[in-house]
Amino acid sequence: MSKKIVEQEKRAFMTGNEVVAWAALAAKADIMYGYPITPQNEIMHYWTRMAPKYEKSFLQTEDELSAGFTTIGGVMAGRKAFTATAGPGNTLMQEPMSMAEMMRLPTVVVVQQRGGPSTATVIYSQQEVTMTSIGGNGEGMRIVYSTSSHQELYDYTIKAFNTAWKYRFPTFVLGDGYQAKMRESLTLYDPEARGIELIPPEAYVGKEGVPGKDRPPAHFRNTYNMEEELYELVMDALQDYEKISPDVAEYHSAGIEDAELVIVGHGIVYRAIKAAVEAMREKGLRVGYFRPVTLRPLPVPQIKELMASNKQILLMESSYGQLARLFKDVAYGSSTKINTFFKPGMGITAEEVEAAAREILK
Amino acid sequence: MNKTTKIVLAGEGGQGVQSVAEIIAEAANEEGKQALYIPNFGVEQRGGVSVAYVQISDGDIGAPKFQTGDIVVALSDRAVRRTVNYAGPGTTFVYESGIEGIESELPQKAGRILPIPAIDVAKNEFHPRVFNIIIMGAVIGATGVIPLERAKAAVEKKLGYKFEKQPKLRDLNFKAMERGVELVAEA
Repeated sequence: MSKKIVEQEKRAFMTGNEVVAWAALAAKADIMYGYPITPQNEIMHYWTRMAPKYEKSFLQTEDELSAGFTTIGGVMAGRKAFTATAGPGNTLMQEPMSMAEMMRLPTVVVVQQRGGPSTATVIYSQQEVTMTSIGGNGEGMRIVYSTSSHQELYDYTIKAFNTAWKYRFPTFVLGDGYQAKMRESLTLYDPEARGIELIPPEAYVGKEGVPGKDRPPAHFRNTYNMEEELYELVMDALQDYEKISPDVAEYHSAGIEDAELVIVGHGIVYRAIKAAVEAMREKGLRVGYFRPVTLRPLPVPQIKELMASNKQILLMESSYGQLARLFKDVAYGSSTKINTFFKPGMGITAEEVEAAAREILK
Repeated sequence: MNKTTKIVLAGEGGQGVQSVAEIIAEAANEEGKQALYIPNFGVEQRGGVSVAYVQISDGDIGAPKFQTGDIVVALSDRAVRRTVNYAGPGTTFVYESGIEGIESELPQKAGRILPIPAIDVAKNEFHPRVFNIIIMGAVIGATGVIPLERAKAAVEKKLGYKFEKQPKLRDLNFKAMERGVELVAEA
């Protein structure tokens, strides 16, 4: 039995990348597979520094395709395996994650979004929302947590392993370059000491006994010969996905009841929104916010309820409508006006949120 | 709502603005406050102006970057130009007074403008290498956001291993920090 990474709860001040490494250890991840790309490099730097002390492993692969497929291999061998990537690396990661979707494998991927398209900037964006949520040649049967702070990076990285192994869908923690590189205060804790049960991994292949005699043979496919066969399988998986969606979806909201304007945003942009909403409330403006924590699946009933309430919406994001597309799909049929504020590849400040909101309330 | 102190530090690579920002934020965290520090880390870092953003609060901190700082510190001519827009009526704009011919480019709308001769003071009274510690003292003096003793403890944590070998350095650094506090008080 390896020793615990966090014996006692403690306050820490570190970068988001370091937080992810700590959280993966706290979640009892067994192995990280990775290929370097800014701004997520330090996840594997910290992991490789700490992991050997806790009898954990690391494999650097030749690219992100390989990092994704080896993560799949680790999972099939019954290890809590994860990888981390960003930008063009996330593009390559789509192929293995499609396979994970097809085979219902509990892979965990941490994404620290950088500017796009292509190499673009190493800094920040929210431009990997579409790709992370519904990328690949499939139906987007994934779970995506969009974090907004170091505490959430810690909480949701731990949670991602549990979600993945509980529901057997590929699970993503969607951060960004700001979260990766900034330092802020958070509390590190041992999840089990807080009563969070860590779901143990289970091998897909190489189990005890004779296949067909002592146990069913392990047969995991990503290739099918017949349309009907594939259709049945995909529909079954989609049904499972839809069934678990209400349990998985998470959101935060405040001030909606009496608001004239509700500001919608996710990830680190939500922080600017929250700060601006609190500042405007103090000045007597009737504003609120709605923030999906899960981008896949979205909190559908809550969004429908919001859109049924005759308020104006202001949707803000550091991309050109990637959250808006997902949101509008759920909101379809409502006549509530959706105003948008898009800043692809750039941060959004609380001052900008307030100015945009006041423009609408004028 | 809790008041958040917002600080922008800008200078040339090697002037140490990132270390100063990080130590201040860490000291605030040690003080039990919420603290957030984010560097600019684009490709511009290599050969461009280095900018650091620090926020300190008793409550939650909003977005990592912001439009207007409470304290803006600029240590070179390019840093002044880069940070002019972070100054508003509530801003104390601190700049290195050794920068030549920059007066016309200082932010007109800043609440207070404080020139401090940190480069000269470092060179003549201490050692050029404690320049950034003087700046740290200036920020602490201008914001009052963390006690001086806490800042010293944070420096001790960072440089303690050097101080062990050369105890003189501890005194030099701490005196430089105190001098930085004085500089903004005098300005």
